[in-house]
Amino acid sequence: MADIAHQERRAAGSSPVRSVKAGNGRSTHIASRNRSIALIFLLPAVVILFATTIYPMLYALWLSFRNYDLSKPFIPRIFVGVTNYAEVLSSWPFLHALVTTFKLMAMTLSVQLVLGVGIALLVTQKLPGMAVVRTLLLIPMMISPVIVGLVWLFLYFPELGYLNYFLSVVGIGPIGWITTTDWALTAIAIADIWQWTPFFMMGTAAALQSLSPEPYEAAKIDGNSRWDVFRYVTLPQLKPVIVSLLFLRAIDAFKIYDIIFVLTKGGPADATEVLSLYIYRQSFTFWRMGVGAAASFVSLIIITVLITYFFRSMQRSQAALAR
Amino acid sequence: MTSSAREKTLVYLLIGIVLLVFMTPIYLILVSSLKPSAVMFSRPPAFIFTPTLQHYYDLFTMRPFHLQILNSLVVALGSTAFSLVVGTMAAYAISRIKNKRINDVAFWILSMRMFPPIAVVVPYYIIFKSIGLLDTPLALIIVYSTFNIPLTVWLMKGFFDEVPEALEEAAQIDGHGVVATFFHVTLPLTAPGLAVAAVFCFIFSWNEFLFALMLTGSKAQTVTVAVMSFWSSDAVQWGRIMAGSFVVLIPGVIFVLTCQRWLVQGLTMGSVKG
Repeated sequence: MADIAHQERRAAGSSPVRSVKAGNGRSTHIASRNRSIALIFLLPAVVILFATTIYPMLYALWLSFRNYDLSKPFIPRIFVGVTNYAEVLSSWPFLHALVTTFKLMAMTLSVQLVLGVGIALLVTQKLPGMAVVRTLLLIPMMISPVIVGLVWLFLYFPELGYLNYFLSVVGIGPIGWITTTDWALTAIAIADIWQWTPFFMMGTAAALQSLSPEPYEAAKIDGNSRWDVFRYVTLPQLKPVIVSLLFLRAIDAFKIYDIIFVLTKGGPADATEVLSLYIYRQSFTFWRMGVGAAASFVSLIIITVLITYFFRSMQRSQAALAR
Repeated sequence: MTSSAREKTLVYLLIGIVLLVFMTPIYLILVSSLKPSAVMFSRPPAFIFTPTLQHYYDLFTMRPFHLQILNSLVVALGSTAFSLVVGTMAAYAISRIKNKRINDVAFWILSMRMFPPIAVVVPYYIIFKSIGLLDTPLALIIVYSTFNIPLTVWLMKGFFDEVPEALEEAAQIDGHGVVATFFHVTLPLTAPGLAVAAVFCFIFSWNEFLFALMLTGSKAQTVTVAVMSFWSSDAVQWGRIMAGSFVVLIPGVIFVLTCQRWLVQGLTMGSVKG
């Protein structure tokens, strides 16, 4: 509120005479004219996004009802009804990919959340050097996922990788990180956790630094233990931010592709075949574009549910801010 | 919160471990890119060695890496410029028209960024093939703009919301047109936002891999695909991979070191304020 009042004062201060002269009628007239011009400003973005995203999606929808199999060029690409969908939804590989996607999501999000909040609590301590630490920890997020995949491949590499060497020094291993079905998904989760824990750290640290100190002082005076203060004072205030961060990461985790493509390409066997890898394999390994498109649509529906829930919570928190 | 010296030591110790874990892979990229192939995997790891620029030299002589850097620059700059123009205009509209319907449009635009790329890569492939845009930078500029426009819209909307409307009205009463007011009053006030949006668009385009892999061949290949392609040659060229990786991660690192305070807004699409 103070902020708005300040802005109004600033605006009025810049042209005191004019705002008196303007009067109410005229400024609302200008405002309404501005609105119609603003609509024209909106048009290019809407048209372009429609052409570049809705059109390909409709194309994918059309494709998903066709027998579009590039490995069999002599079979006519006819309308096959819901055959592709029936195959996708009843096939074991698709369901397995769906389960693997959510399994990986659960593994990465839970560890990232706990580690990220923990690190945020450390780096928001008022101690020298913390600003530098906070900055350095942001770097992994800005690295291309392919590069993240490659450096972890370097670490995991069978026989040569340094990770097993360092583990052997402390008497563990050797572990077949990307070569065994037991470890491959964990190996991918570790690379993803390395890249995106900073995301939770960054969001939580930003929220922690904007908290008002008063409840803490009250809690301290009341003689509460540090854990109680965190549990009953800090955590409830962090909740909206953490929910936002979780949604954003969940939406991203659902799309995970690059790191898996580099590290395991979905293997060994199908241990790391998440939805995007399943779609990739159907479309570009088996050339069954129709089946790939049907699977794409099923995944679009799932992500739409996620996005809708995220928007609801975002609108709610925006409304809460406005109040 | 920290009171005693023992606690301080504990905090620094924990932070030391965290830094070790999170910085080691980045350190490895740099060091391995300078390591002679002979000691690349030596046991114990060679901490002291004579650094060599051989891998960087190979990158540009045995591979057309400079052309791939050029491709990436053209694609990233092209998409950034286009997204900035279109996205900024839309953001201005969304910020100034305040009603329920425009909110729905805003969320629709945002949702375009969140759909899984793999789901639309097949249609893009077929469409671009039929209009002859496959393996051209233009194809990637178009595709990346579908991600960068929503990002620009949401970042810039936040900045436009901060510019008081009374300021614009004053300029218009002075006789400036709506467009002139936008360019001479509003836009200069949101210049930091433009810079941030530009850098984000650039980095996301520069780092992108999936579309670049599927929609380009040898002509329009970008850096991420090029680095990945060193892997598929008969023998894995780790030195070259690491040298290429280091080149690819430079823009992102510079970004973090120069404008980290905008990262929060950019990466959370404005849902968390920094």
